[in-house]
Amino acid sequence: MKRITSARISQLLFLVLFLVLFINTEYRGRDEINGAVNAFFRADPLVAAAYLLAAKAFTWLLLPAVLLLVATALLGRFFCGWICPLGTILDLLGGRFRRRGAPSLFTGNAKYWVLLPLLGAALAGINLAGLLDPLAILVRGLAFSLHPLLGDTTRGAWVGLYRVLGEGRDLLAPGYALIRDHVLPFRETAYPLAFLSALILAGVIGLEGCESRCWCRRLCPLGTLLGLAARFSPFNRRPEKLCADCRACSGLCPTSFDREILQKEECIFCMECAVRCPSARVRFLPGSPLAGEGPLLPQRRVLLGGVIGGLLAARFFRFRDPAAQARVLRPPGVRDEGAFLAACVRCGECMKVCLRSALYPAVLQSGVEGLYTPVLIPRLGYCEYNCTLCGQVCPTGAIPNLPVPAKKREVIGKAVFDRNHCLPFAKKINCIVCEEHCPIPAKAIRSRRVLDTDDQGRQVELLVPYVVDELCNGCGICENVCPVEGKAGIEVFAVKDRTPLREFQGPVPVEKGGDPYG
Amino acid sequence: MERRTFLKLVGLSSLFAEGAFRRLFAAPQPTVAVARGKDYARTTRSALALLGGMKRFVKPGDVVVLKPNMGWDRTPAQAANTHPLVVRALAEEALAAGAKRVKVFDRTCNDERRCYVQSGISDALKGMKGVELKFIENERFRRVPIKGAVLPAWELYDEALSADVFINVPVAKHHGLSRLTLGLKNVMGVMGGNRGSIHRHLDDALADINSVLKSHLTVIDATRILTDHGPQGGSPADVKVMDTVIASTDIVAADAYATTLFGLKPEDIPVTVAAHKRGLGEMNLKRVRIVTA
Ligand code: SF4
Ligand code: SF4
Repeated sequence: MKRITSARISQLLFLVLFLVLFINTEYRGRDEINGAVNAFFRADPLVAAAYLLAAKAFTWLLLPAVLLLVATALLGRFFCGWICPLGTILDLLGGRFRRRGAPSLFTGNAKYWVLLPLLGAALAGINLAGLLDPLAILVRGLAFSLHPLLGDTTRGAWVGLYRVLGEGRDLLAPGYALIRDHVLPFRETAYPLAFLSALILAGVIGLEGCESRCWCRRLCPLGTLLGLAARFSPFNRRPEKLCADCRACSGLCPTSFDREILQKEECIFCMECAVRCPSARVRFLPGSPLAGEGPLLPQRRVLLGGVIGGLLAARFFRFRDPAAQARVLRPPGVRDEGAFLAACVRCGECMKVCLRSALYPAVLQSGVEGLYTPVLIPRLGYCEYNCTLCGQVCPTGAIPNLPVPAKKREVIGKAVFDRNHCLPFAKKINCIVCEEHCPIPAKAIRSRRVLDTDDQGRQVELLVPYVVDELCNGCGICENVCPVEGKAGIEVFAVKDRTPLREFQGPVPVEKGGDPYG
Repeated sequence: MERRTFLKLVGLSSLFAEGAFRRLFAAPQPTVAVARGKDYARTTRSALALLGGMKRFVKPGDVVVLKPNMGWDRTPAQAANTHPLVVRALAEEALAAGAKRVKVFDRTCNDERRCYVQSGISDALKGMKGVELKFIENERFRRVPIKGAVLPAWELYDEALSADVFINVPVAKHHGLSRLTLGLKNVMGVMGGNRGSIHRHLDDALADINSVLKSHLTVIDATRILTDHGPQGGSPADVKVMDTVIASTDIVAADAYATTLFGLKPEDIPVTVAAHKRGLGEMNLKRVRIVTA
């Protein structure tokens, strides 16, 4: 990055925009989120393609992606050289590496062996595209690893200051509040797959050690898809080959001049060659579309093999452990597991935004096919009754964006008491912390007044809780706050039938025995 | 008197007969001020005035803590949190009395950011110089020896402990276990740790906490009360508008009076009884001077 070109400026602006949106994918004192990184995902043609194939439906949410694809077919793969924040990061860091040259494994058809199985799996209803989507890799790396790391370290220092200064630290509090409110994640959350997410991101960056933009040209499924569209672009570079008297392009071009002729599907329109050509010969001019070297599509063998591989993989990874499955709680509004797996691109947005850090990437609890999809873990965080943020940021509508009253009635699961742990049952001790926290105005947890004898033979008046299934939306706050250590006395389990609760019309009559003194 | 010495004295004196203690400290007769009116800021001020005004409690340069109940992601109309106008009026009065800083916080049950916003308190205090609305920071909980009836020690919030004046500002509402939640229960908001676990002997545990964290002034917001499905309610059918603010230096007396707004008697509330037995205040309303405006 020596010379400032329009492409460079655009790259930096989009990177800043991306980071600002990323940080603002968080509750900021208002029920609605104004801008979230999901804007990038909505413009992501790979996300759109996978969604179309998997859900076999269209959603207007993804219209920007279609527009970007059309623009790419007209102008070429400018997204990669002007917009993609991961590409910008690679350009910023790439200069630090000593290039060793592309590993032979990645040359040739490798990129199709990445893209096609993803699309094949999507056809089988499993939307794995996000696993290797560059934006998703970046968001997950930030959301699960780097951003929490930044939060923990800063907060650690802040706590350390308290140990040293005590309340004297208050002098610095306004400064810290500024950082906390505008830069750090609000909660200290440890995510599963944090290491893997960081590793994948680091791996992509590490490929810069082979050649510049190695990931972008050799593997990135979004880039490959855009490259296919770019072949239709009528814009062609002139001269299209290296000039025999100069050949400077081969050193300037970050992607496509390792052969004699420009690889149209790899050119990212960074304009380095045009700006720096010693004899100012380079122009990008309208001409015939479909020009360029090589066939449009990879050989049939690759095409078929890739797609079939994906289809098969989607079948082979279906196994699910029933015990783990019982605890796979999806975000509010998700009613059907199959439809969810087809629509979720595993971008990590919902988990980033979740107010109570209730959502975590699935490791294996929903099978290999569910890797990185969001699951709610009530013991770590519950779904806040009045919150609708995850539905607002989900780029594909896998989590529907519902108005607050509708979301409150969506069923995540159903709470069940465990009499071996719940204090009134197991220890004959009054508690009802769960009832107290249940957000349903008519109370999905209630209690009966029961006279009982405790283990010392004393008469006790106990409030014995029970769940009203018709009112429970499975938000998980009961399990979250249950004071029993370790395993909670009440737990939320997944249910197949997630028909929303009936509309509340005023308070549902409470069984009067529920009042201990009345 | 230093809080610590005071506490020691309280501890020592509880060794005496409870009656003797009460005569020593709460003597001769605790006062409960009750003000009514639709203008909640004014009502709050009248209640204060009946007690002799904020200047009686706050000296110039003091650090004042207001501990409202803002534990729930509910709006003011839902009566689960202290009314923002009551909190604001108290903050203004404290500043007017010369307070150096007014700190407002609560350890919330729902997401703290949403609670602070939805309760209306964040908006009400916006832009007030010298007033800090702060989130709880875990490192600030300090393990305090209590040697109480059921709690040997507990983590309490340093800013509540070190305040020159601690003003307890609960909202009066129903509670499934303690029947009502008022001033004595509101101090749960400065407890750290697994506070849900004290529910097993809630009454004694709350008396324990209140014996180490003394409320210099208790202002009960009964502008509207939650009569059922507490402590968070949510249904307007459970809310009753009372337009009342109650203030007292005797937390037990304040709670005892507030109980009557629900058509209940102070002895119906086990927490009040436990605190009274512990000598934390007077629950017999016949022995309380009730002044109204
Ligand atoms: S899971 Fe619940 S709390 Fe978390 S973002 Fe979604 S709606 Fe909000
Ligand atoms: S459900 Fe979450 S991870 Fe999946 S697409 Fe929506 S926001 Fe992204």
